[in-house]
Amino acid sequence: MTKSTRLFQNLLLLVFALYALVPVYLVFLAAIRSEADLFSGPLTLSWPINFANFGRIWSEAGFATYFLNSVITAVSVTILVLLTAPLAGFAFAKLRFPGKEILFALFLAGLVVPAPSVIVALYGNLQALGLIDNRIGVILPQAALLMPFSVFMMRTVMQDVPDELIEAAVMDGAGLLKLFLTIVVPVVKPGLMSLGLITFLFAWQEYLLPLVVFQTESLKPLTVGAASLQGRYGVDYGGIAAAGLIAFAPLVVLFLAMQRSFVRGLTAGAVK
Amino acid sequence: MLTTRSAYLFLLPSLTLYLLFVGLPILQVFGFSFFAWDNGIAGDFIGLANYGRLLGDSVFWTALWHNAIWVVLTLAFPLLAGLVIAAILADRNANVVRWLGAIYFIPRTIPLVVAGIIWGWIYNPIFGLLNFGLEAVGLGGLAGAWLAQESTALLSLNVVGAWTFFGFCVIIYLAAIQSIDPALYEAASIDGASWWRKFRDLTVPLLRGSTLFLGLYAAIEAMRFFDLVWVTTQGGPGYATEVLTTHIYKTFFLVGDFGYAATLSVVLLIIVLAISAGAFTLLRKP
Repeated sequence: MTKSTRLFQNLLLLVFALYALVPVYLVFLAAIRSEADLFSGPLTLSWPINFANFGRIWSEAGFATYFLNSVITAVSVTILVLLTAPLAGFAFAKLRFPGKEILFALFLAGLVVPAPSVIVALYGNLQALGLIDNRIGVILPQAALLMPFSVFMMRTVMQDVPDELIEAAVMDGAGLLKLFLTIVVPVVKPGLMSLGLITFLFAWQEYLLPLVVFQTESLKPLTVGAASLQGRYGVDYGGIAAAGLIAFAPLVVLFLAMQRSFVRGLTAGAVK
Repeated sequence: MLTTRSAYLFLLPSLTLYLLFVGLPILQVFGFSFFAWDNGIAGDFIGLANYGRLLGDSVFWTALWHNAIWVVLTLAFPLLAGLVIAAILADRNANVVRWLGAIYFIPRTIPLVVAGIIWGWIYNPIFGLLNFGLEAVGLGGLAGAWLAQESTALLSLNVVGAWTFFGFCVIIYLAAIQSIDPALYEAASIDGASWWRKFRDLTVPLLRGSTLFLGLYAAIEAMRFFDLVWVTTQGGPGYATEVLTTHIYKTFFLVGDFGYAATLSVVLLIIVLAISAGAFTLLRKP
């Protein structure tokens, strides 16, 4: 490779790194600056760090509650998906039964179903079930919308479980569920980890469902809270920045800490 | 047989959840679309009359056009950028790959609602960083109210969409490149092939599967995205950023026209299913 080619390549890598990071940096900067010097001075970090914005948003604007709600919803959705999708993935990957192709195609079709296209009917159904303004009314549909992806990914993961392992256990006379829990689950732990992380990420990011289902302020998650803050506190830029940071920092930290697992999950559905 | 029954039991929880909260509503929106609705109550069966309204609904056609533009822009920019970056990164050492890969992916972890708020500032006509930057380098004449004028609103939003998406493309492409047999590249190097030639004649053709996957993903996302528009422009100014999902949302929640909102939902469903059916057919071909 010539020197100029390499230089050009490095420049390209750098430009895109800046594209990715500068907006994040700006939010961070706005969040830790006081109102007075928000628009003054260059784009350097100010010292000492000013936590006033976080305090105000956390306690006065209700972000402690929004945060807790995001945690509750995202964790519930994740647990629900982890309890259901791996079983289905295993059935599709390793078991033989009539109707397998059709049922799998049914899940596959759901991979692309947009939440806004079912909301018209879903909303009425939730109303009839008394689940409007209820956490269950977000958790169940959210898990259901993530199910096609999760089942698809779990099928890919389960295909890698050696058949000999399963056959040996079957000969021992182990029940299928016992076999699944004691033999299969330990082998696919990394896959389950990836699924859990990705489900958590998507559930935390969800906006439309909680927007239409929740009416009570004390049930709303961060995404809805941050969006409404924009209207209510139109000029409190430091506050909105702090709110944004609260809404995405946990995800960024989680991703950086678990990068390997995330990437494995994202590519599991894609490469095969 | 025992395993048959167990298989159905294994499927039962996820299938129930899926059919109840996704399958059933899909059938319902199909049904809803054939009726006239009054205040949330189904009235007369009117056949395809709601579908006939689509023809005269200029907002629908504008929205559809914007979705189409969004598909093309996403294929043209983040996908291509992801491919080139991944190909460059593949030659670098593991630490660089890990760090840059993480950096590129960070925007994808940010909820689109928050991304919309962040970029709303950058585009702000009075104190936004974009105008500030343009003035600083002497291009103040180009400064504008990016999200508030019809000519730039959709394109400006697409830059935000690309911001959250290109890192995903990098990661998918990178994983695919790393699974290519290195002997192919070594052979090409021995033949004296340049970086560009290896990229064009080896990397791009071998990544066809990933490109199809990402293309499908991008097209589906382009049809169904909602959060970003809703939190920034709500489809405005005028109808400059109206897309199918915002049109559905407004028709249902603001106008309260259940039948027509269901009709729009059916159109959206048919489009995404048609796109994915097309992509799967392509994927099946060797």
